[in-house]
Order: sequence, then structure tokens, then C-alpha cells
Amino acid sequence: MISKIILLCINFYQKYLTILSYGSCRFHPTCSSYAKVQFENNNIFKAFYFSTIRILKCNPLFDGGFDYVKVKCPRKDKQQFKKLKFTKIKIKYWKVPVENNYCLVLQHNKKWDQ
Amino acid sequence: MAQPNDTMNKQSTQKRILLATVLSFTFFIAYDFLYLQPQQKAVNLANKANSEIVVKQNSVNNSLAPNVTSTALPMNTTPVPSDAVDANIITTIETLTNKIEIDTLGRIAQVTLKGKQYVDGNGKKIKLFTNEQLRPLEIRFRNAQVNNEAFKVNVVASSSTIDARSSKATVTLTQQLSTTTLTKVLTFYPDGHYDLDVSATNNENFFITPGFRPDVLADMYADHGALLTLNDGTLTIIEDEDMDKAVELIGVNAASAFDRYYTTLLYNFKTSMSISVMMDKNESPNMFIHAQDKIKLHGYAGPKEYITLTNLDDRLASVIEYGWFTFIAKPMFQLLQFLHSYIGNWGWTIVFTTILIKLVLFPLSHKGMVSMNKLKELSPKVKALQEKYKDDKQKASTHMMELYKKEGANPMGGCLPIILQIPVFFAIYRVLLNAIELKGAPWILWIDDLGVMDPYFVLPILMGATMYLQQRITPNTMTDPMQQKIFQFLPVIFTFFFLWFPAGLTLYWFINNLFTIGQQYFVNRIFKNAKIARHEKHLEEKTHKKKK
Repeated sequence: MISKIILLCINFYQKYLTILSYGSCRFHPTCSSYAKVQFENNNIFKAFYFSTIRILKCNPLFDGGFDYVKVKCPRKDKQQFKKLKFTKIKIKYWKVPVENNYCLVLQHNKKWDQ
Repeated sequence: MAQPNDTMNKQSTQKRILLATVLSFTFFIAYDFLYLQPQQKAVNLANKANSEIVVKQNSVNNSLAPNVTSTALPMNTTPVPSDAVDANIITTIETLTNKIEIDTLGRIAQVTLKGKQYVDGNGKKIKLFTNEQLRPLEIRFRNAQVNNEAFKVNVVASSSTIDARSSKATVTLTQQLSTTTLTKVLTFYPDGHYDLDVSATNNENFFITPGFRPDVLADMYADHGALLTLNDGTLTIIEDEDMDKAVELIGVNAASAFDRYYTTLLYNFKTSMSISVMMDKNESPNMFIHAQDKIKLHGYAGPKEYITLTNLDDRLASVIEYGWFTFIAKPMFQLLQFLHSYIGNWGWTIVFTTILIKLVLFPLSHKGMVSMNKLKELSPKVKALQEKYKDDKQKASTHMMELYKKEGANPMGGCLPIILQIPVFFAIYRVLLNAIELKGAPWILWIDDLGVMDPYFVLPILMGATMYLQQRITPNTMTDPMQQKIFQFLPVIFTFFFLWFPAGLTLYWFINNLFTIGQQYFVNRIFKNAKIARHEKHLEEKTHKKKK
């Protein structure tokens, strides 16, 4: 619920207010998209914590660069696998396993569909 | 086939952003003009009309007693009309800061401020109260019969003029009722505040009020209503026209009824008060202090000046509040106040504060500017990258980030500096709106009030011009022509928006831009010199080689 309100705010910001701070983020993905991914993939407290840290680090005293959202990988659940329905789905995120059962969350690019 | 479609999409998105920005700014300005200002006028008109009616009624029935039910509290809080007629004034007190008039019901009927900055638009001295509202020090008895009688019997004052300009002076107000005698001993001090000692004989319980808020400047820009500080350190604020039921509070140390700049308050930090906050017909708060049969309080009615209030009691500083942004606006005000005590002019204080903030953020902004210039030299590479990935924004930004990493430079200032600007900006905005000290505070030349908009629009236009200049000399990494156009349009939108902002705020932004430009110019020159030096060295080496 609160996550949803925050997501709405981020969407509004991205749509209408980025013009004020356009091209100032030192990271990829930008702070706002990072926060969006956080709130959509993590629990609210963690999302809030990581997004705040990210914004605090987004200044010339830190290097910036690549910083993707990292979450615990989904467990391989055989029961769930059985329930899978093989219909066409819309891909939003790719979770790419890295180390220690953690995954990077990458946003799906529509360009990749073609 | 998707390509042309996509670029069209992109453009329409940007047009939408532009449109939305312009629309939202227009909305705020239109809202101010079409809604807030006419409403203010309507309120003023209504007040005028009301007071006329009240005066007429008064000539018919001189003292209208309120209907008080026999419940524990005076339920009907419809105030007794205060009479504009001088005949009802029984005593007048002169202090160094104000003139206080007390009427036949033993209430403070009017407070006229003496300071030369406290004048209205017509140059008349500001009077705190308007006609038909509840007045400070009005008494309500718990016993309905006594209460009704109390509104019919005139109060007798020990003296008709009191001079408290050089030292404190006392006046005693007595009201002789059939079952009880009410005595108010008021001691006025040269600074305009007073001590209050009220008692009723025969155990007759009563309530006393700090009155309805002053009605000099109550608009939608800043809060107005009742503010109570409790002995646990918390604040309770009840805004006008925002009550749905009466509120009972205990442990109250100060009860203030306030508009944007002025307050009428009763306080006692030694023994706390119990207060009933009643709702009047406009759903605005009227405060009644439970007195039992006697109570000792301190009182003040006048501007919410930080120094005046803290001289009375340090804890009264919390009576000045700045809305949501108090937590940042208060320290900001204290900084301004501190600097002002050395500088002596509010305009220069704002200029100096801006420089101070710039200095604190200097390490951040300097590093950003340097790395931005470093990257300017890489711009051919950046352009090539953007050309290569012009259909895939995400990929382009990924590759760009890789390039930055390789070169050890990041051109962006970061989100934090921008986000930090917002609270500072709002804090100054709130301080300018709420601080009485900045009302009528002049700067130089034509600016004679930093709290209101610049009458000749000079500062906003200067602000826009410097913003444009700043954009021109800042190397930007934008390559999308549409985005660049929107960016260039920003100074125009900002200028338009700032036209109606308090001059002090525009001054802050203007000075801020000025110093950013200076800093940027400096950094640009260093880089230019370095480049020339490198070039010369290169040439030298070449000739050296030839000679060999």
C-alpha cells in the first residue's frame, strides 16, 4: 500500500519533474529508476533504506557508475514449477544470479523483444 | 519500421513534459490570482459588513449576553460583540511598544502597535483585533446565572490612564456581582507584556481566554489559529475553520492565538493550565483556560518577534512556527537572526547567507565542475557513442557510464546536491513568509520590503538572466536537441514563477546563480589555461624533435 503510493510519486517525478534535475545522476540506472526497482522487488523497509543510501551517495564525493538493485534470488520451488501455466507473459525484470544466491535486477528493455 | 515511430514517441514525451511543466506553473499562478486573492478580498469585505452590523446591533442592545447552559463549560462561544465605540473603554495603558485599551467588560478591546514598521497599507498604525471576535481576558463563569449577570455589569478600573513606558504599572479591575466579586490585577511592563492575577470571591469558578487570534494578516499562505505548547514538549496546533469538535487539553504552558505575524497569548511555565478549545460558528478555535476561582498568568499581545518572545521566556520561541518545514526553517531563521545581529540589514543578511551556503557546498560543486570539464574534452567520444546507440537510450547510457569509468571522471553533479537545494529553498520561503522581522525590511534601492514581491519585477528578471547565463557557460552533456530546447526554456518558466515570490527569496536565488556563474567561469578558465599550456608543450616538443 505505502509502496504503491511511493511508486506513484516516483512515476510522477519521472514523468514531469525530471526536467528540473535532468542529466544529473551519477549512476546507472538513475536514482529514481533504482528506487522504483527497489520498491517493486524488495520489502518496503529494505527498499527505503537502499534508495536513501543511493541518493546520499549520488554526489561528487562518490564515484557513481553502475549500481543495480540486488535481491535474494527466488527459491527454486518444484511445486510452483508444476503449477506454471505456459502462456505468453509480459517480461518486466530479469533477475541475473551473481554470487551467494543474490540476483541483480535488470529492467527489461522493449527493444530486446524484436 | 519501428524507428520513425519511436523517435516520434520520444518527441511527444518531451513535448508532454514541457506542456506539463508550463501547465503546472500556470496553474499555481492562476490559483493564486483567481482563487486566493479574491477570497482574501471577500473575507475582508465580509468582515467589514459584519462589523457594521455589530455596531448597529450594539446601539440597540448594548450588551448581548451569551446563552450559557448550565453544563460545566460555556457551551455557546459566540463572542460578545466588542464595541468599536470609545465610550466603552474604561482604561488605556501606554507601554513602549503598544497602546492597550480595556473595555467595560474588563477585556482587552484593542491593542495598537507603536513600532514604525507596524503600519498597514494606508500608513495607519496596526490594530490587532477586529470587531466581532472574542477578546483577550474575557471571563466566563461556570454558573450560568452569574455569567449572564457578568455580561450586564460594568467593570470598574482603579485608574483611567496608565503609563507603563518607563516602569511597570498596575491597574485593578473590579466587577461587583450579586454573589461574587471578580478582581483582575493587571501589571503592565514597558515591553508591552503583562502579568495577570484574577480571583473571584465565594468560590465562584470561571474561565478566562487569551482571545481570538489577531486579524491583521490571515491568509492561505501561512497557518493561523490556535497553538498550545504542552509541558511534555509537544505542540498542538488547531487551524481556523478546521475543527469538528471541542478539544480538552491539560498540561498547557502557553496558549497562543495567532495569524501570520501576530499573536495574543497567555502563558505560565510554572504551573500548567487546563484548556477547553471550543469551536465557533466558523469552526475556528476559541480557547478557555480553566481558572477555578483564581489564576495567575502572564500575557502578551503583539508581533511574534523572536527576540521579544524569548526575552519574556526562552520557551516561548516555540510559539513561532513555520508549518511543515519548521524543523529546517527554524535553524535557518536562527542562522539569519545571528548574522543579522552583526550585519544589521536583512537584505545583506540573505546575500551573506547565500554565500555561506555556497561555501559549505563548495567542495561538492567544485569537484562536479572539474569532472564535467574533464569530460568536455571527451565530447567527441561521447558524441560517437550517442550516434552509435541513438535508438537505444538505455544502451547508450550504459556505454557512457563505461566511458566515464575508464576516464575516471563523472560529469554529473548527482541527485543529492539538487535534493539538498529543495529544503533550503523552502526553509527560506517559510521564514520570509512567517518572520515578522522581515516584514517591511528594506535592502537597497527600490527594494523596501523583502517579504513581498518586487514591485518592478527587476529581481526576477535578473534572476532569469543569470540563470540563462549560467546555463550558457555550464558545459552540458545533453545531445538531444529537443531536451536542450526544454532546458533552455527553463529560465523563462522560472522567471515567470518568481515574479510573485517574496523579493527576499528571489534575491537568494539570484545571488546563488551569480556565484555559480563565478565559480564556473573560474573553473572554465583553469581548464582553458591548462589546455593552452598542454598545447604549447606539445608544440615545443615538436620543434625540439625537428631540431634533432
